Amino acid sequence: MRELFPMKQVNGFIFSLLLTVVALSVYFLEMSFQLGMTILIVTAFVQAGVQLIIFMHAGEGEDKNAIYTTLFYGGFLGLVTVLGSLLAMIWGYL
Amino acid sequence: MEFFERFAVPHPSPMIYASMVAIGLVIIAIIAGLSYFKKWGYLWNEWLTTTDHKRIGIMYIISALLMLFRGGADAVMMRLQTAVPENTFLDAQHYNEVFTTHGVVMIIFMAMAFIIGLMNFVVPLQIGARDVAFPRLNALSFWLYFAGAMLFNISFVIGGSPDAGWTNYYPLASTDFSTSVGVNYYNWALQISGIGTLISGINFIATIMKMRAPGMTLMKMPMFVWSALITNAIIVFAFPVLTIALLMGTFDRQLGTFFFATDNGGMDMMWANLFWIWGHPEVYILILPAFGVYSQIIATFSERNLYGYTSMVASMVVISLLSFLVWVHHFFTMGQDAMTNSIFSITTMAIAVPTGIKIFNWLLTMWKGKIRFTTPMLYSVAFIPLFTIGGVTGVMLAIASADYQYHNTMFLVAHFHNVIIPGVVFAMIAGLIYWWPKMFGFMLNERIGKWAFWFIVVGFCLAFFPMYITGLDGQARRMYTYSEATGFAPLSMLSFIGAALLAVGFAIIVYNIYYSFRNSPRNIGSDPWNARSLEWATHNPVPEYNFAVTPEVVSSEALWDAKKRGHKLFKNKIEKIHMPNNTGWPIIMAGLFFVFGFSFVFFIWSGVIISGLAILGCMAYRSFKQDDGRYIPVEEIKETEDKFGGANE
Amino acid sequence: MKIDSTQHLEYSTEQNRINILGFWIFLGAEIMLFATLFTSYFVYEDRIGNGPSGAEIFEITPVLIETILLLTSSFTIGLAIHAMRIQRTKAMLGFFAITLVLGAAFLGVEIYEFIHYYHVGATLQTSAFTGILLTTLGTHGAHVMFGLFWGIFIFIQIKKQGLTPQTANKSFIFSLYWHFLDVMWIFIFSFIYLKGMM
Repeated sequence: MRELFPMKQVNGFIFSLLLTVVALSVYFLEMSFQLGMTILIVTAFVQAGVQLIIFMHAGEGEDKNAIYTTLFYGGFLGLVTVLGSLLAMIWGYL
Repeated sequence: MEFFERFAVPHPSPMIYASMVAIGLVIIAIIAGLSYFKKWGYLWNEWLTTTDHKRIGIMYIISALLMLFRGGADAVMMRLQTAVPENTFLDAQHYNEVFTTHGVVMIIFMAMAFIIGLMNFVVPLQIGARDVAFPRLNALSFWLYFAGAMLFNISFVIGGSPDAGWTNYYPLASTDFSTSVGVNYYNWALQISGIGTLISGINFIATIMKMRAPGMTLMKMPMFVWSALITNAIIVFAFPVLTIALLMGTFDRQLGTFFFATDNGGMDMMWANLFWIWGHPEVYILILPAFGVYSQIIATFSERNLYGYTSMVASMVVISLLSFLVWVHHFFTMGQDAMTNSIFSITTMAIAVPTGIKIFNWLLTMWKGKIRFTTPMLYSVAFIPLFTIGGVTGVMLAIASADYQYHNTMFLVAHFHNVIIPGVVFAMIAGLIYWWPKMFGFMLNERIGKWAFWFIVVGFCLAFFPMYITGLDGQARRMYTYSEATGFAPLSMLSFIGAALLAVGFAIIVYNIYYSFRNSPRNIGSDPWNARSLEWATHNPVPEYNFAVTPEVVSSEALWDAKKRGHKLFKNKIEKIHMPNNTGWPIIMAGLFFVFGFSFVFFIWSGVIISGLAILGCMAYRSFKQDDGRYIPVEEIKETEDKFGGANE
Repeated sequence: MKIDSTQHLEYSTEQNRINILGFWIFLGAEIMLFATLFTSYFVYEDRIGNGPSGAEIFEITPVLIETILLLTSSFTIGLAIHAMRIQRTKAMLGFFAITLVLGAAFLGVEIYEFIHYYHVGATLQTSAFTGILLTTLGTHGAHVMFGLFWGIFIFIQIKKQGLTPQTANKSFIFSLYWHFLDVMWIFIFSFIYLKGMM
């Protein structure tokens, strides 16, 4: 039975539950918007990293450079799209 | 009868009825011809179900040429309408429809198909592969593109053409102002062909990353392969944005949402924002493969290695990143603050730097080279100064404050035609002529080709340079007519003459294909241009397995160094070759997508549900079906190789 | 097909390795797909027109249940792949089945949530905000729905054919898809629900 539950994945699961609890604090505790957003951004991206590296084995194959390049490129362009649109449509728009 | 009324054209004219008859006659003629010559089996087995990247590439190019003539006819109609003031050849509505379809057809269904067709044909050959990574998906990509293209092209005879411009801005494209089903067609045609393009993008990246010949490291790939890799990376990250934008547009028009409305929280300019997040990278999706084609042609006909290989690659990588950082320059005049405009103004101008590097690299490749002015080389040489003019006017447009003057004038129209025609169209013609012998085993006639070249170059200059002047004088784009007093008449007439010369040029190209098919010699060897990269190391035309023996490579100019320095490309013995089987499901599935899109356009929900379930059923069927391909035995390969005059061993 | 027995079954042929890389590139495209939805969501977040705002309609309980269901299913599909790699076909199928059941439960709760939104008057046609909210959640939900059918097909194939290079490859790629949906849910959970209720 034990070999079906590798420590790495069990720990990863517990860690991701913990991150969920930390994120939930923004709902249950009183805090400023900035602090709340900071907590959410940190927990969400750490959570994504846990999934990618522990569960999705992103770094194990012979193509890990291509895979990481794809992910970083996608992540970067995704952020640019979100922030650039907010800049053009809300922050910079009168 | 009520059911059929929705298919009526809202703004009929004699020309549209004539087109209906012509389309009907052509379809009947094709069916009759195929039946009379008993070619249905051949067509189905050899082409419609093929998974061979070369044949798929050729089908893409044939479709692109058809679309070129559709879009070209639209262009000539526009120039004819504006050739004289107060012209009544087209009315306002018809003119709107014509410039909309011209833009969409040329960008999405002509240029995209042409570059993907060339990539399909050339990339696996240049990297020494037998096919692409996912041959069945490749066929699906093509058929989805084709379904989208056909869906778009029937719009003007069934239900009405889209009429809100190829940029399809809201609120003009909303049901309030564009009342026919035209924009629904726009949404679904682009959605379906966009899915095909996205699949192509994934396919080519996987192919280039995983299937290169032994010894071909990334930095030894031919420049066209590099340009294909970077283009496909842009495709993969840009097309999902279009998918969502079109989905939101469909919801607005057909399901009553408020995304791009002007009330209830909606924001019409959000469409423009999303459209250009996809649309600007799209421009580079078109131009980078063109840069790749020019790099191959200029190096071949200057008989020199490409100058500055590393900087060529680096500048393309930088362009691919910057292409996602500039989109707001398409709507500088929306009303955002100066800070926002400045940021996007600077990123836009920054693109001129890597592009400039590439221009200098091409010039330095030709420097002291033994230049041969073949037809493809003529297009490449004409490209450099003409494209530079287009680029410089682009930098003018990038100055946000000045753009308030240029915005939506003919100056802009002149600018983007000035980069797209010498950039993309010249490259596609040059590439087609250059790789023609690889595709069909004979050369296109050089003398006739040069006539076409001069018509096209002169026609281009006459058609578009006058627009810079009328644009600066204040002529707005997309206006179906103008008064005598504006003074635009003489220059507009000049534009029309240029458009006519362009049309003659393209007609000469078609004649050249016919002439050369009849008259060109077939014994041209495998390397008629004395070229440099791997595709010329196999026979003309290419056997289905591409290379009898997988080549091994030590430099970026693999064939040239094999010829000049005696590198040995083919070291191993012939072994059995694994090839993918033909399959009918891509064309069937694309047909279902066509039905799905068509039904959705007209709110025929039963058709939507049935075809939607059938598409999912196809995917389920594919999931269970095992198809491991087949092997070509050694004897058969040897036989084929002998027919071509000996194996490359 | 050359089979390389030094590697895990899912990586054992060249075509398998190409398939896995191809799917990662597809996930790159999916990142942009969801980034576009988030972009639109953030732009429309405060543009509620005549409709309700997020704070008025979000409920923490169903969201929390969905999150735990999906996180757990992501864990179990990870265990399924681990079991596959140590050749424990039965255990693998067990974990696979649990994953699919959890996925179905997630969908069930999401459908409940949608019905709730309908009852409080937040539909696609209410305002730009409710429209993009339901489009974003719906796109994620449609991915889960698609994944369920896909997963069932793969489950049947493993039952019939056992673990072969093909079925192992399909299972691994399915696990990538499933984990990815979990990641996207985490972003929805954080930046749509929690941010909205903060």
